[in-house]
Amino acid sequence: MIELFINGKTIEAEPGTTILEAALRNNIYIPTMCYDKRLKPYGGCRLCVVEVEGQGKLLASCSTPVEEGMSVQTETPRVAKARKTVLELLLVHHPLDCPVCDKAGECDLQDLAFKYGPSQPRLLAVRKHAPERIDAPIVESNPNRCILCGKCVRVCSEHQGANAISIIGKGFNSKISPAFEETLDCEFCGQCIDACPVGALGAKPYRFRSRVWFMDEFPTLCPYCGCGCTTNVGIQEGRIMRARGKEGVGINDGNLCSKGRFGFDYIYAENRLRTPLIRKNGELTPASWQEALEEIIKGLESVKANDGPEAIGAVGSQRCTMEDNYMLQRFMREIIGTDNIDSAARLGYAKAESAMEKAFGSSLPISWNRPLHAEFILVLESDITSTLPVWGLNFIKARHNGARLVIADHKETKLARQSSQWLRIRPGSGEALLIGMMKVIIEEGLCDREKASLLEGYESLMTRLNESSQADIEQITGVSREEIRELAEAYAAAGNRLLAVTSNASENTKGTAIFLAAASLVLLMGDEPGSLQAPAEFSNTLGAWAVGVRPVSGGKDCTEMLYDPGAVKALYIMGENPLVTFPDVAQVERTLRGMEFLVVQDIFLTETAKLAHVVLPACSWGEKEGEFMAATGAVQSMPKLLPETGQSIPDWKIFRNMARLMNREMGFMRLEEIRASIKEILSAGRKKELKTSLPPLAPLQALAADPYYPLTLVTATILQHSGALSVLSKNLDSVVPDAFVQIHPQDALKHQIDDGAFVKVSSRKGEIFLKAMVSDEVMEGTVFTPLHFGHAKANILTELPVKGEMPRVMVRIEKA
Amino acid sequence: MQRFRTSVMLCGGNGCTARGSLKIKNALEKELKEKGLDREITVVLTGCNGFCAQGPVMIVHPDDIFYKQVTVKDVPAIVDEHFIKGRPVERLMYRDPVKKQPIPAMKDIPFFSVQVLRALRNKGLIDPEKIEEYIGRDGYMAAAKALTEMRPEEIIAEIKRSGLRGRGGAGALTGLKWEICAKEESKEKYIVCNRSTLDIEPHSIVEGMIIAGRATGAGKGFIYTRASLPLIVRRFTIAVEKAREYGLLGANILDSGFAFDIEVFQASDEFVCGEETALLMSLESRRGMPKPKPPFPAVKGLWEMPTVINTVETLANVPQIILNGADWYRSVGTEKSPGTKVFTLSGPLHNNGLIEVPMGTPLKDIIYSIGGGLRKGREFKAAQVGGSTGGYIPESLLDLPVTYEDITKAGAIMGSGGIVVLSDLNCMVSSAKFTLEFSSDESCGKCTPCRIGTTVLKEMHKDICEGRGRESDIELMADLAVEMQDSSLCGLGQTAANPVLTAIRYFRAEYDEHIKEKWCKAGVCRELCTFYIDEEKCKACGACKRVCPKNAISGEKKVPHRIDQSLCIQCRSCYETCAFGSIRIGPRSMREEMMNLPDQGILSEIHAKQTAGEED
Repeated sequence: MIELFINGKTIEAEPGTTILEAALRNNIYIPTMCYDKRLKPYGGCRLCVVEVEGQGKLLASCSTPVEEGMSVQTETPRVAKARKTVLELLLVHHPLDCPVCDKAGECDLQDLAFKYGPSQPRLLAVRKHAPERIDAPIVESNPNRCILCGKCVRVCSEHQGANAISIIGKGFNSKISPAFEETLDCEFCGQCIDACPVGALGAKPYRFRSRVWFMDEFPTLCPYCGCGCTTNVGIQEGRIMRARGKEGVGINDGNLCSKGRFGFDYIYAENRLRTPLIRKNGELTPASWQEALEEIIKGLESVKANDGPEAIGAVGSQRCTMEDNYMLQRFMREIIGTDNIDSAARLGYAKAESAMEKAFGSSLPISWNRPLHAEFILVLESDITSTLPVWGLNFIKARHNGARLVIADHKETKLARQSSQWLRIRPGSGEALLIGMMKVIIEEGLCDREKASLLEGYESLMTRLNESSQADIEQITGVSREEIRELAEAYAAAGNRLLAVTSNASENTKGTAIFLAAASLVLLMGDEPGSLQAPAEFSNTLGAWAVGVRPVSGGKDCTEMLYDPGAVKALYIMGENPLVTFPDVAQVERTLRGMEFLVVQDIFLTETAKLAHVVLPACSWGEKEGEFMAATGAVQSMPKLLPETGQSIPDWKIFRNMARLMNREMGFMRLEEIRASIKEILSAGRKKELKTSLPPLAPLQALAADPYYPLTLVTATILQHSGALSVLSKNLDSVVPDAFVQIHPQDALKHQIDDGAFVKVSSRKGEIFLKAMVSDEVMEGTVFTPLHFGHAKANILTELPVKGEMPRVMVRIEKA
Repeated sequence: MQRFRTSVMLCGGNGCTARGSLKIKNALEKELKEKGLDREITVVLTGCNGFCAQGPVMIVHPDDIFYKQVTVKDVPAIVDEHFIKGRPVERLMYRDPVKKQPIPAMKDIPFFSVQVLRALRNKGLIDPEKIEEYIGRDGYMAAAKALTEMRPEEIIAEIKRSGLRGRGGAGALTGLKWEICAKEESKEKYIVCNRSTLDIEPHSIVEGMIIAGRATGAGKGFIYTRASLPLIVRRFTIAVEKAREYGLLGANILDSGFAFDIEVFQASDEFVCGEETALLMSLESRRGMPKPKPPFPAVKGLWEMPTVINTVETLANVPQIILNGADWYRSVGTEKSPGTKVFTLSGPLHNNGLIEVPMGTPLKDIIYSIGGGLRKGREFKAAQVGGSTGGYIPESLLDLPVTYEDITKAGAIMGSGGIVVLSDLNCMVSSAKFTLEFSSDESCGKCTPCRIGTTVLKEMHKDICEGRGRESDIELMADLAVEMQDSSLCGLGQTAANPVLTAIRYFRAEYDEHIKEKWCKAGVCRELCTFYIDEEKCKACGACKRVCPKNAISGEKKVPHRIDQSLCIQCRSCYETCAFGSIRIGPRSMREEMMNLPDQGILSEIHAKQTAGEED
């Protein structure tokens, strides 16, 4: 610890901290414009200058490290004068268009000019007259207001790893721009907008819509992925105007992705449900809540009377709150008496969950800062910066801090571009790569074999490793044995290791096997189970799982209820749209159409809802109070901020009301009572002890070539779209408006497909038409498509997982 | 090895090459061959001789005869008269600017005799593209000594003891820099030679870098040059290749077990990339912008590895120090600024060029002894010391010894070592404006004081030069300039205001004249001057009339001339042409007054009438 004096106050600081950090930590204010704690010191704005005893010049506190006995003064007349001069200089060109600037009221320049600034302008104005740039989606820029602090550029490159903008030009004429002043084409995370201290960068959806002093700002949870970020929504007259990240608020600490910052507007989609609907003469017609609930009770009672409660099933939602899901399963189990309860997590998180259950005795939530402690990170077939974008930033940060980041993926993801090494393995061959690594580790004795041999299942693992030859592994992965050897050696030599694999329902390259292999590697090396980070997908995937939205006593799961016609006769779907997001969607449609009775409870009139007998309108995120359990396992609550849309009510209330209408009491009247009950089951769940055993691995499957369907179809989440909600956000749709299929230039050439042309993609299951995007991000012989666009029906091509394993989807492409 | 009776050292520096050295070399060789002298006389294209103002120059050894401004046409005369008949060609010799006596021997020419050559010790003596010639002049002896006889600590101790200070401008102690770098533990370390724009013997740089590498434990060096100077790039590339060929670079140099190699890096012309951290970013192929220090490059430099950055001049001194010892090095110069310093001298002097003098030499000696004083008719006004961001030194301070401390005290900087002499023809306000145009163009734009400060100062100077100055401007500019010095990130911003501050400090009257009287007495600021003819002095020679591009001057023989103010564009041609000093410069307000006078046509009519009347 170093002792120094700031304004006469004795302060202790770690060696290496800067004067500014030491001051801020001790609540001493120093103004800044170019400082951001996420970024390296820049020293550009010169506002943070301070006087240090014995130093002739003023020193920039943001970039001067503390020294023993240093005596710093932060507010002397000389310092104030220097700051005043800097502000005066900035106002030489900064336009005083505050009345029409969206930043007014929260602008650093405004605030600092008020604090230090000139009462009368001494210097002549040299204004800039660059046109505003509003050509890109979402992000607008006004170069005239820019004070060139460079924060946007650095957040984009250093922190976000996107490198979309840079400073071009020199001196007074420097400006922030994409290369060659082209239209901004980036991931539109909007981090630059939040970083901008003035109004030079702004969000187009917010442009000229409000003034900051007319809005009330509330922190709430982002409804999208499993990160559990806090997004701060600005509300004016009951409507969300904007959302932003704020340093120090939430686990994300100011970071947000494009969904968290701009994706909130799905709740204003046109097809929001406003009243209950009942199918009368084949048409869904508006009805009262009383009628609708009675209709449901009648329908469910009749199925129950004829076929017993086992003929009724329910699908919960990974995006509804814990309370909603809890009430669904209580209703189904207690009132109806069925265990046929599941959610779409069956197709996603369940893959990881079951593997970890086998290996560690329990599934584990992710640890937010785990990547930062690792020296060696291996990310397997996972586009983490798309699936959990803000957690993904920690991988980039770890890399900057010196960790070795190796990405094994067929696709050129952002992490692959930021990595120390990118192994371009064939899609679906992550497991084979892990087997290859384990073979090397055993052969070369890179792990503690004695300790490992004590593990349950060691013998069967050895047999399994011996069965797979290096040649097979080379053939399956497409990576040479030397590369695998090097990787395994480096992995084993590293001090703190980390494997990261995501388990999203939309990803069709990973099944349970890769998680089993990953867990085996972790156990083999003697690492703690936290060395495998397998995050849950959505905002409440873990929550739904934890409150029992899954069969627990022999009930039917999703794959049976939705794919096995007749497995259930009545289905109650809450907040899920299987007709878009489930694989082999044609089969799902057949099953659903065969239902005797189908209830859909959602916020939109979804494709699935259109098949239902009764449709119930639920409140969306923001319109109800509730809790989510993030992928980290943290249970966080969010407030009700907005009025309900139409007659919609919170999902949990629907079940409560229905039970009461049936003259059955579930014992809960209020949310607090539900929460107390949830807390009880959660604390019971936590008591589970960890046990470790090497899980049995299935033999590797060699690839079979199919001359008629030569290409492998890969599906996954993309940054802007992760499921049913994002495609209804106008903001996100302005970035990625339509489904597409990425084709490697060589394949495009082979099939004579131009970029932007329509192509017919067909598999054994069916055919669809998509727009071609020729790109070498994908591997030759592979095509990629996101699944989330309902109209594109990409899930017609895909296949249902078999025992947790994803069958390869082979397709061919033709010019349409 | 072939021995020659006579060697002709023809300068192949940038300036002389531009003026035709290569053609002269070809012509000379052809002529020698025709006369059968090619086995007796050799022509060597050397590095920059330094006397650029008189280029192309050549020296004939062993007589040490110096020829200036040689052209292809002079070649037969040189061969016939000098080489065959033994009579040196007098008309090509340098002449004393005052006595007009020819001075045949180079060593007698004051331009050379006052200089002390150390960094430039081989200038004009050897072919920079031949490593053998460098070795012949004790080349690589110092490297051999450092690698085989000295331990790295001893090298650093010797350099520290010599007191060698970085010639990059700031004057940091070179030995200290090396020591910091040497103490860092790192897999990789680098030696970077900053801005090889100076036309200096390339092998001395290579040798200096080898020694620096040995001292610090670096294995790789970069010579950072500008792609726009192909001659220099070429010479460095050849030098590195040759050194590698001779086993002076690469693995196991001179069997010492030490490995070191050098890469020549061609960069663009950004001024700010002279700043070491910006240079490193540029070397990393990124946008060259200075970074805050610490961390200093010696701790975290190129690709985050410890890096020593020295300029060419610093490195060129290193082999000499190692070879001759620190005491020898300290034998010239001052206590705090030992050794010599290279300057580029320019302005309206008799002799311009690349020079090297002991530290502490008074500025006066440089300008009057080496530079030979100002050309006829010109008066000394100021010397800008330190390049484009250097300060102006007025005549009253010409006794100033050139050392880091004294120059800084006077408000200038050592900087790039440029000395530009300004004469009575220069306006200080507009000169300061010119430097600000440069620095605002070259500011990288990273920090506020420099990016906007230079632009604001430039605009204010523009206003003053165009007659819109306000009386409060001077204080405001001085205030802003001090803030820029105080709070800018790098040397560019910290020094950019030097010209303004010194111009205000030493030539405030000129600012006052510009602002209050709207009068640029040097006649540079067009808006603030009126050119008129002092009719009593005018000899009506018509010289001014002939040079006027606008035909604004009227007058016949024996009739005093007059300038039509409505046509005059204040180009100053007449002023510079008039041999009698009859063209005068008045304040702006005179222009309107002059316009109201009857024009020359009417005057001559009146004159004609009067004479006619007399005749009648």
